[in-house]
Amino acid sequence: MRLTNHPILGPAAPGREVVFFLDGVAATGLEGEPLAAALKAAGVAVHRYTKKHRRPRGLFCAVGRCTDCVMVVNGRPNVRVCVTPLEEGMRVATQYGAGEGVK
Amino acid sequence: MTRYDLIVIGAGPAGLSAAAEAAGAGLRVAVFDENAKPGGQLFKQIHKFFGAKEHKAKIRGVKIGAELLAEAEKRGAEVFLNSPVAGLYKEREILVRRGEGVGHYKGDAIIVATGAQENMPAFAGWTLPGVMGAGAAQTLMHLHRVKPGKRVLMLGSGNVGLVVGFQLRQAGCELAAVLDAAPRIGGYGVHAAKLARTGVPFYLSHSIVRAWGTDKVTGVVAGEVDGGWNFIPGREKQFEVDTVCIAAGLAPATQLLKMAGCAMRAAGADWLPVCSAVGETSLPGVYAAGDVSGIEEASSAMIEGRLAGGAAARKLGFIGPDEYEERRQVLLAALASLREGMFAPQKRGQISAQTDEGIDLSQTLLRKGYLEEGEVGKYPGVKPAAGIHPVIECTQNIPCNPCRDACPQGCIKVTGGIAALPEYDDRAGCAGCGLCVAVCPGQAIFLLNEDAGDGLAEVTAPYEFLPLPQKGELGAALARSGEKLCPAEVVRVKLAPAFDRTALVTFRVPRDFAMRARFWQKEAAA
Repeated sequence: MRLTNHPILGPAAPGREVVFFLDGVAATGLEGEPLAAALKAAGVAVHRYTKKHRRPRGLFCAVGRCTDCVMVVNGRPNVRVCVTPLEEGMRVATQYGAGEGVK
Repeated sequence: MTRYDLIVIGAGPAGLSAAAEAAGAGLRVAVFDENAKPGGQLFKQIHKFFGAKEHKAKIRGVKIGAELLAEAEKRGAEVFLNSPVAGLYKEREILVRRGEGVGHYKGDAIIVATGAQENMPAFAGWTLPGVMGAGAAQTLMHLHRVKPGKRVLMLGSGNVGLVVGFQLRQAGCELAAVLDAAPRIGGYGVHAAKLARTGVPFYLSHSIVRAWGTDKVTGVVAGEVDGGWNFIPGREKQFEVDTVCIAAGLAPATQLLKMAGCAMRAAGADWLPVCSAVGETSLPGVYAAGDVSGIEEASSAMIEGRLAGGAAARKLGFIGPDEYEERRQVLLAALASLREGMFAPQKRGQISAQTDEGIDLSQTLLRKGYLEEGEVGKYPGVKPAAGIHPVIECTQNIPCNPCRDACPQGCIKVTGGIAALPEYDDRAGCAGCGLCVAVCPGQAIFLLNEDAGDGLAEVTAPYEFLPLPQKGELGAALARSGEKLCPAEVVRVKLAPAFDRTALVTFRVPRDFAMRARFWQKEAAA
């Protein structure tokens, strides 16, 4: 899913690959890219399930406006992953509801 | 509380232009932006801009963004990123969230350049992962270099839908179709045409009934709508896609202006600030520039930013009346020329039947995204000629003229205003350099040599995809509609620095196909 080359933008600048954890499972992404981009590149679509109807939600606006993409990041719920840079060792979890009971 | 001469909210095209203009006049300027990177949407705009030289036409948005940022910073404007402005008060004070805290700043003048947000029509299944704004797809591809999906359906045929649709193809995604509930394509015909000839179908008077899928989109049911926007039973179509992009227009992000108490006026479905010609709102010293004061192109936003930046400099006594007035007139004239033609903001909602030249508009272009072969010859850029010559398939009055300036022989005339249709003047004699083909932001110019020998013709078309074809490579020639016409051999691939990454691909087709073949398609690997 990554665009290593592009007819207009040219080759992508090499990034530093880092390991993070999605629901406890190791995954890789590029340091500093938005967490949402790393998840997209890894083929992850569902970021959370809504509180009442348990409906899946994912990336929607990608610019920090809609708050649909929120997840639990390093134990903190409701983090907009589209504007959160990926750090090595980050713990990311699918969010259920408003992230109640997250520790 | 820190004080600045000028505070600019938003580091997009309007905000950076305002900051550069004012800082150049000596004002101490701070720019606040909520994003991690400056430039607003400019760094996502990889297409060549329309307009004239003074509007930075034929330059790609990414490059314009880099130049603008460098100018603003060189002139001393301070750009604060990751700094969402949460409040604007009529005393010209702002509240900014910075990290976990808030900051409080005062400006002697304030320019609000907060841009716009995407409109989102709700349909069943619109919240499924895989349904996203067209802007999100653009952000993923161009800022983060990740494909939004494999096979995409685009809802909306305005310029955003058409441009992002083409960019999805450039990124190697499949585009299943472009839908629009309106009966006519909303964006520039040339943007639609460059998609249609790659084989993307258009469904006008169609919208999404529902997107389905369990944990993400796997398909869409679309339906035809009648004149009252109601679905017509029995006219549904299914698309198997993993991604749906929504490009249903933009709404000005006017929240801060409303909060400060600026007078607003209704404009269609939006509320816009009441502004003077230079963008001053009903609150003295508070200006609005760019999309927040009315949705237009980035080219217009940059001029509006400079007008507001200059006005703030004048108001605070940094520039004298004569210097100000001279600059103001130049900028107003540049802005007025961008508002010429049939897509001008003052003509929104009106339907033109003819061009300014009195030629009937192509209805096929408006319904299906391409010109019929039989109607191309009506337009002044298309004339039969011996030897190599340009065929300019520019059929709507759009404010744009780089083709005229590009031609070293002076073959192309745009007379009677920037939005006039370009005319091919066969007396000047085309040398076949292809610069017009490369610079046309609408990719609407082709070179034709109808007598390349052996009953063959050579067609030269712009090509912005990877991999580039090789000389001698056999592919297929496609018609304007995307219909496959015949096998076609590539005889030349030209990519000069002046072409700025638009390659010129010349391919050979039987002479009968010279006026039909408009795209060279790589044959799928066996």
